[in-house]
Amino acid sequence: MATRLWQPLGLLAVIAIAAMLFSLTVGSAQLSASQLWAVVQGQGDALAGTMVIDLRLPRGLSAFAVGGLLAVAGALMQVLLRNPLADPYVLGLSGGASIGALAAMLAGVGGVLMSGSAFLGALVSTFLVFGLAHGSGGWTPSRLLLTGVVVAAGWGAVITLMLALSPAERLPGMLYWLMGDLSYARAPWPPLLLLMLTCIVLIPLGRSLNVLARGPQQAAALGVDVRPLEWGIYVAASLLTAAAVTTAGSIGFVGLVVPHMLRLLLGNDQRLILPACALAGGTLLVLADTLARTMIAPEQLPVGVITALLGVPTFLFLLYRSR
Amino acid sequence: MFILASKKAQYRGAIGSAVFSSARFSGARLSGWPLLGFILCSGLASSPLHADETRRCVMDDRNREVCLSAPAQRIAALSPGATELTYAAGAGNQVVAVVSYSDYPPQAQQVESVGSHTRVDLEALVGLTPDLVIGWVTGNPTEQMETLEALGMPVFYIEPRTVEAVAGTIERLATLAGTEAAGQEVADNFRDGMTALAAEYSGREPVRTFYQVWDQPLMSVNNEHLIGQVISLCSGENVFGDQGRLVPRLDDEAVLMANPDAILAGGMGEENRHWLTHWEQYTNLNAVASDSLYFVPPSLIQRPTPRLLEGTQLLCEKLEQTRQKRKDS
Amino acid sequence: MSRLVTQDLIFDVPGRSGGTALNFAIEPGQVWGVLGPNGAGKTTLLHTLAGLNSPRSGQVLLADQPLATLRRRDIARALGMVFQERLDGFPATVLETALIGRHPYLSLWQMEGADDYARAEAALEKLDVAHLRDRLVSTLSGGERQRVAMATVLTQAPSIWLADEPTNHLDLHHQSAVMALMAEQAAEGRAVMMCLHDLNLAARWCDHILLLYPSGEACWGPRDTMLVPSALERLYQQRLATVEVNGAPVFVPVQ
Repeated sequence: MATRLWQPLGLLAVIAIAAMLFSLTVGSAQLSASQLWAVVQGQGDALAGTMVIDLRLPRGLSAFAVGGLLAVAGALMQVLLRNPLADPYVLGLSGGASIGALAAMLAGVGGVLMSGSAFLGALVSTFLVFGLAHGSGGWTPSRLLLTGVVVAAGWGAVITLMLALSPAERLPGMLYWLMGDLSYARAPWPPLLLLMLTCIVLIPLGRSLNVLARGPQQAAALGVDVRPLEWGIYVAASLLTAAAVTTAGSIGFVGLVVPHMLRLLLGNDQRLILPACALAGGTLLVLADTLARTMIAPEQLPVGVITALLGVPTFLFLLYRSR
Repeated sequence: MFILASKKAQYRGAIGSAVFSSARFSGARLSGWPLLGFILCSGLASSPLHADETRRCVMDDRNREVCLSAPAQRIAALSPGATELTYAAGAGNQVVAVVSYSDYPPQAQQVESVGSHTRVDLEALVGLTPDLVIGWVTGNPTEQMETLEALGMPVFYIEPRTVEAVAGTIERLATLAGTEAAGQEVADNFRDGMTALAAEYSGREPVRTFYQVWDQPLMSVNNEHLIGQVISLCSGENVFGDQGRLVPRLDDEAVLMANPDAILAGGMGEENRHWLTHWEQYTNLNAVASDSLYFVPPSLIQRPTPRLLEGTQLLCEKLEQTRQKRKDS
Repeated sequence: MSRLVTQDLIFDVPGRSGGTALNFAIEPGQVWGVLGPNGAGKTTLLHTLAGLNSPRSGQVLLADQPLATLRRRDIARALGMVFQERLDGFPATVLETALIGRHPYLSLWQMEGADDYARAEAALEKLDVAHLRDRLVSTLSGGERQRVAMATVLTQAPSIWLADEPTNHLDLHHQSAVMALMAEQAAEGRAVMMCLHDLNLAARWCDHILLLYPSGEACWGPRDTMLVPSALERLYQQRLATVEVNGAPVFVPVQ
């Protein structure tokens, strides 16, 4: 039974590492595998070293972290809302983060302040939705979903307003952020650590999530503490999404398509799906980002465009095959 | 993480005591990687200048002092305006990287592009090993510029917002590039030309002017904008001069209410006059009645470069035509 | 083996005030049938007994401990519930569905072992759905899905069974099989309570009956004292004719 878990996970891990290595060798400056090996060993020229260590490695690791975070958050949202069409942004979280980030851009600040602002916006949105969705006797998934959708629409209106009133020269930066962009991701370790920590915490809860996916009453009857678990999933999914959006803007499709694809291929055991999402989501985004920065080099594409272009046909193909 | 730390240490050792530069920021953030020293070494090795050239320090438009130990030999200009100003400063031969739409002077189109000014291909840029990066204060993405600074590259931000600043920027760039003589000449020509135009056209009868930056959405400029300053120099009265935003977005109604005597517009590209034909339907506009719809090529007036002189000349002459028509009618 | 006792229990039906306070005990070995027309609150009662709904007043005791003070996990080891309706949002196989019955017994880091799989397979066999073990539950017929639900609880192996209309969707053969299974569980010392809409099944298989009236009124007791035609006619608002078959009464609705 344990091999059931480790085989697909092992395969995904190997693919993930291959994707990372691929992203390190590919770029505007062509590096051969031997040059890459030289850099790793500490020899090789300084320029290649800068390329790999200072530019590609942080970017690749950030891409992996963000992709993994979004995919896991998407899987959690789908369990929480018992809806295979849920994605991490369905509850309005990315809208709140966007407002925080755009406000920082309008004020002319960047870097840590902007990340902090985006994160704050995400948290405000999370608590707002949770508070509003509270009916008498707690919230139900459908109430949460409806509230989230409405709040997301509200944030969308505010974002449009900000774009309309922004000085012309700030617009491209804002649009890139909204489309999802990894071109300046330099601090991959916080999101990466969060991803690893989350997987470690979620795997033992995986079976409870399997049971929860059958419905709250069935789950309660089988010994699951439904309310605390749902709360926990909501907070976890929000935290993961907030971290992802803060790092790279709102990249779409990864959180929806990756969990779904994995379910079609691997079944529905969350103990397998959650870590698989982390690996597969990370791999997808690393490859997408590699494409985004090399496809029409030196022009740079936002990675959200690539995830959509890659994700949608792949998903349709898998859906077709699984019939 | 451990790979990073050990790599830095090894590069530090490999470089030794080569000449390196530092950029002292007002925020006192540490920089000056030995990597930069390596880059400079390779750059200097191919230059005709000697290592004992005087150190030069110049203030940029973000009030940071940027110091180079020798004139920059490999300049990356990260906006079309920066490219044009660098060439104007006489440093055209030292430019190794530009961004898209850097179309003037024509030689700049042969230089390698590293993306657009809103999203730079950092790898391509770093691969060209520049020793000076010219950034635009409001145009380039903050995070990418921070990455460049963290890699130890000297970044010099410019954005001339006044007529005098155009000349001053050319002089500063010339200092950084070691082309002081050529740059000074261009700057002086520009200054003298603008002064002459000011002397000739200021104090004349004001002409209510509307300058159209864009048509969808309709955009104009206020008095703080460089074009607004040029209009004032030509004794024009910018009808949207006291708008709060530098580039306000308006609608046709606002223009009809303001009823300017002259409408000046560029267009998309250099030969497109159709923005002006849009106004001809409003026959009650003073500008239409007196046939004062003028086309000014945008490249001559929308960039804070020496070509602004030509554009100012054109604009002043157009307004003068309107004055003449007024006298004759 | 545990017993389920109610103390002055009034369960909460929205829009209905009060009702008879319920004071009965489901002892090991007993098979209780809950009868009543639609809307009487049979499902709500069962959910309250399982601790899924809060009662309006009174309490439920599981093994002489108030349900409200017990952890869900501990309740799940002693009490199993066959629901009337199921939520199958995500695809799952029949075997996986039966296997979740082992959830209350496995710790967080534990994976299902050979013993758990064996129990699940045996349960599927018992409910005559073993041949469907790798089918997706969404592709099953109503009756097959119902039997899988029972297999899940059988895998859970609780000492108290609460079943909400377990014979729904089942053909005659499987109806009898399921009822026989319930009787077998009781014979093995477990306690069973079922909501039934089929009067005759209750008459044949249950030894205790609880009658729930839409007004909230209720009465309970051994089968023979409860299955009085006049009470049943009042319950269902339907005239009945009584016949005896094989020693057990059969009630037939008449005009």
